[in-house]
Amino acid sequence: MPILTLMTFLPLAAAAAMVFFPRDKVRLLRLTSLAAALAVLVLSIVLFDNFEAGFQGPQFVEQKAWLGLGIRYSLGVDGISLSLVLLTAFLMPLALLSSWSAVRENIKEFYVLMLVLETGILGVFVSLDLFLFYVFWEAMLIPMYFLIGIWGGKRRVYATLKFVLFTMAGSLLMLVAILVLHSRYFETAGVSTFNIFELYGLALDPRTQMWLFGAFALAFAVKVPLFPFHTWLPDAHVEAPTAGSVILAAVLLKMGAYGFLRLGIPLFPDAVRRCLPLLSVLAVIGIVYGGLMALVQKDMKSLVAYSSVSHMGLIMLAVFSLNAEAMRGALYQMLNHGLSTGALFLAVGILYERTHTRLIKDYGGVAKPMPVFSAFFLIAMLSSAGLPGLNGFIGEILCFFGIFAESRILGLLSLSTVVLSAAYLFWLYQRVMHGPAASERVRSLKDMTRREIAYFLPIILLMFWMGIYPKTFLGKMDVSAITAVTGAGPSPGASPAALNSAVKDKTEVKTEVCPPAPFSPEARGEDE
Amino acid sequence: MNSLLALLPSGVIFLGALILLLCEAFIRRENKEYLGYMALASLALSAATAVRLWGKDCSYFQGMLAWDRLAILIFVISIMGTALVVLVSLKYLGRHEANHGEYYGLLLLASAGVSAMISSKNLLVIYLGLEVLSISSYVLAGWQKTFERSQEASVKYFLLGSLASAFLVFGLAFVFGASGGLEILPLSNLLHSASGDPYLGLGAIGLIIAGLGFKMALVPFHMWAPDVYEGAPTPVTAYISVVPKIAGFAVLMRIFAEPWQDSQPSRAVFWAIWAIAALTMIAAGFSALRQTRVKRLLAYSSIAHSGYMIIALLSQDYESLIFYLVVYALMNIGAFASLIALTPGADESSDLDGFAGAGLQYPWIGVPLSLLLVSFAGFPPTGGFLAKFYVFSGAVSAGLVPLVVLAVLATLLSVYYYLKIVVAMYMRKPAAEAVPETENPALYLAVFLCLIGAVQLGIFPGNIAYLIRQAVQSLTF
Repeated sequence: MPILTLMTFLPLAAAAAMVFFPRDKVRLLRLTSLAAALAVLVLSIVLFDNFEAGFQGPQFVEQKAWLGLGIRYSLGVDGISLSLVLLTAFLMPLALLSSWSAVRENIKEFYVLMLVLETGILGVFVSLDLFLFYVFWEAMLIPMYFLIGIWGGKRRVYATLKFVLFTMAGSLLMLVAILVLHSRYFETAGVSTFNIFELYGLALDPRTQMWLFGAFALAFAVKVPLFPFHTWLPDAHVEAPTAGSVILAAVLLKMGAYGFLRLGIPLFPDAVRRCLPLLSVLAVIGIVYGGLMALVQKDMKSLVAYSSVSHMGLIMLAVFSLNAEAMRGALYQMLNHGLSTGALFLAVGILYERTHTRLIKDYGGVAKPMPVFSAFFLIAMLSSAGLPGLNGFIGEILCFFGIFAESRILGLLSLSTVVLSAAYLFWLYQRVMHGPAASERVRSLKDMTRREIAYFLPIILLMFWMGIYPKTFLGKMDVSAITAVTGAGPSPGASPAALNSAVKDKTEVKTEVCPPAPFSPEARGEDE
Repeated sequence: MNSLLALLPSGVIFLGALILLLCEAFIRRENKEYLGYMALASLALSAATAVRLWGKDCSYFQGMLAWDRLAILIFVISIMGTALVVLVSLKYLGRHEANHGEYYGLLLLASAGVSAMISSKNLLVIYLGLEVLSISSYVLAGWQKTFERSQEASVKYFLLGSLASAFLVFGLAFVFGASGGLEILPLSNLLHSASGDPYLGLGAIGLIIAGLGFKMALVPFHMWAPDVYEGAPTPVTAYISVVPKIAGFAVLMRIFAEPWQDSQPSRAVFWAIWAIAALTMIAAGFSALRQTRVKRLLAYSSIAHSGYMIIALLSQDYESLIFYLVVYALMNIGAFASLIALTPGADESSDLDGFAGAGLQYPWIGVPLSLLLVSFAGFPPTGGFLAKFYVFSGAVSAGLVPLVVLAVLATLLSVYYYLKIVVAMYMRKPAAEAVPETENPALYLAVFLCLIGAVQLGIFPGNIAYLIRQAVQSLTF
């Protein structure tokens, strides 16, 4: 069964069907979209369950000839993409559920776009073909553009255009780099391919590598965002509707890190090594700068947004440490950041829906009227700050191990994230939850409804699970995390059965020959 | 193969035009639409006769008309474009006090000109075809007799167009001087003529490029285009921004079919075209950025798109060029048609404020238009993206990386100005109750055909790609 195709395009199919629903059947629209997202979640759990932890390389591979020029429709997941697929599938139904009360206008369009967005995101993570990857990478911008632009806050048009233009600027140059890569591969190997794993084998001279890596890195750095390219993020996050912020922070930012892991580092090993000092320094600046900026924000959403800059800095620093420990940490931390930041945005959304303000000074003493909410908020916050027993701790500690192994100074500087995040989060909590109530409206706030608990609770439970028994998740991604830095060779711990299927899978990838499609260079110049 | 069949495609369409002009006199004003259906029928018949010639390489008049596969494919593409324009015009004319049956006759005559242009390898016949096309277009641009801007467009188009024709004829004289004939020769033969003097050949190429550049609105020969595109009735704008370009590129493809030689004059020509490509993309992009009127913005955008196609001309990646032409034709006609549907009754040169909120108010026209704009901007998974991708891919393989980088930067610009329209349509509060066109099924049919085409070409372009490859293989000396 082509489970990946099914999973990726199910939301799109549901969205297409929903276009023809009458627009006043609000309940039907909500339930259909939720059902589609839940179905994806079920599929992703099936996927996770059947995933063989033991070997490197993609699994559940699907391949079909598509467009010529060696472009194939090929999907597959390895440990890295699996975890991110799971994260996306997990958060999407929650985000949809959270928007039931927040989105009151143009409801049909909202849910259609959210589902299209899900297809785009999943597609990025499961593509094994560079062209396909790029298609999803770009296509995903359109629904996000509309989500921010139509349902966003006051400065939504500015924010959404900035978001699209920044991202496009990076990715269009990446497109050129992809094309150069493709033509270089054709020159050396004589065959045309966009298969990511086949392109890994391409040996490029250092100069070309630097140019190409520059283009790729720019695209990913904008997305992550690394320090000087981050300015779109606070705008986009603040203006986006809650569901949009959740997906943006929890999943979209990971696409940048994923890009580095999947493409930037393995494709251009020499260039990466030469750029490491620069990239690491940018990451550290991001950590400190993001933390300090978060400290002085007046708006809760932009505080969380800047905390994302800081946390993503740590993840990127770990990625750039290029050792197994750090890589595992980075991967795990990506999931953690997705959960904790997603939860924080949901929490801000819950408050905003009740009071229509996000300014910290308008709150105070919220804990009294909303005890359940304040407890949930506290857990989400502690997870973000990395308290032992919760998921954030595991990820951070792994990251620090890895970073320290490479550089003491960077390690020490990166430790500042612990202090800073504790500071801005606890201070936020204190100002919002404790003290005297800022107004009559705050005093009479209603606690979380059952629906709100329904979408918040799963995140909290998962936070505990990931904090207490990380092996469930780490086990599946270990091999991929290690091979991402070390390159080749199946892990010694792999079971023979897994190895066999790995070999089988790999041969499937290699031997499948697609007919020369129109436009392909093989076909050009030949008679028929 | 010398065969009378080669006369059929042009003949049918020409005959159709004459019959239409004759019938016009006998049909009552309310029924002028029937002439449109007749035009559609003769377009279809002509396309069918052309398709029958596929693979037969029929020619007539000592090879003056030669229907190779390239000519047939380009002809069919331009016929489809013309047919879409007819669909768009059916009701439009009646509502804009321009209900004269000659309109369709002129459209068909213009298409007859196109057929001569693309099926000949003789520059004089090409010139003849171009003039037939142009003169019909001048008249069509001024179709709204009571509307000043339309008149201005017509006169401007006529004056500058005639100047361009003069350049072209002058170029032909140079060609004759250099080669002793008017056949299209391989570029190197022209540039290294018997006299050993490359300037004659260079002059010829320069003047021809200038002449065709005027007609195709390439920068720096584009000054007339925005005014004319804006002033002309919108269906005519759709026509003159698409069909002359298709025909012009067909001619350019034949002129530059020989691989670029490594000689001084050849390099000069190469870099001149390089500069035109870069200028067209960037200058038109920056101009589009400042526009507030949607129709004018689309006018600049259609200029900018020629720039990308010239890249494919430079890298001699004609498959991508034709693919781009097809996608461009669908997008452009679709966009202008949506424009008509969104602002009926009014002239379509309303500014962005007139579009505020229209996307959510009228989803059946807002969604197609925004998808077309997204395709214009080159977002996947649309035809616009794949067309750019193929062009860029061919150019990178040909070593034109700097030009491709310029092109992606121009694309980034274009994302901004296309999204500006989408912003107005979806992210602003509606200003007034606009009443969109509802009783015009033909117009909607055209929009949806364009939309389906533009999207389908982005995902499964297989069959078209196959035809294009066959057509390009027929391009030889």
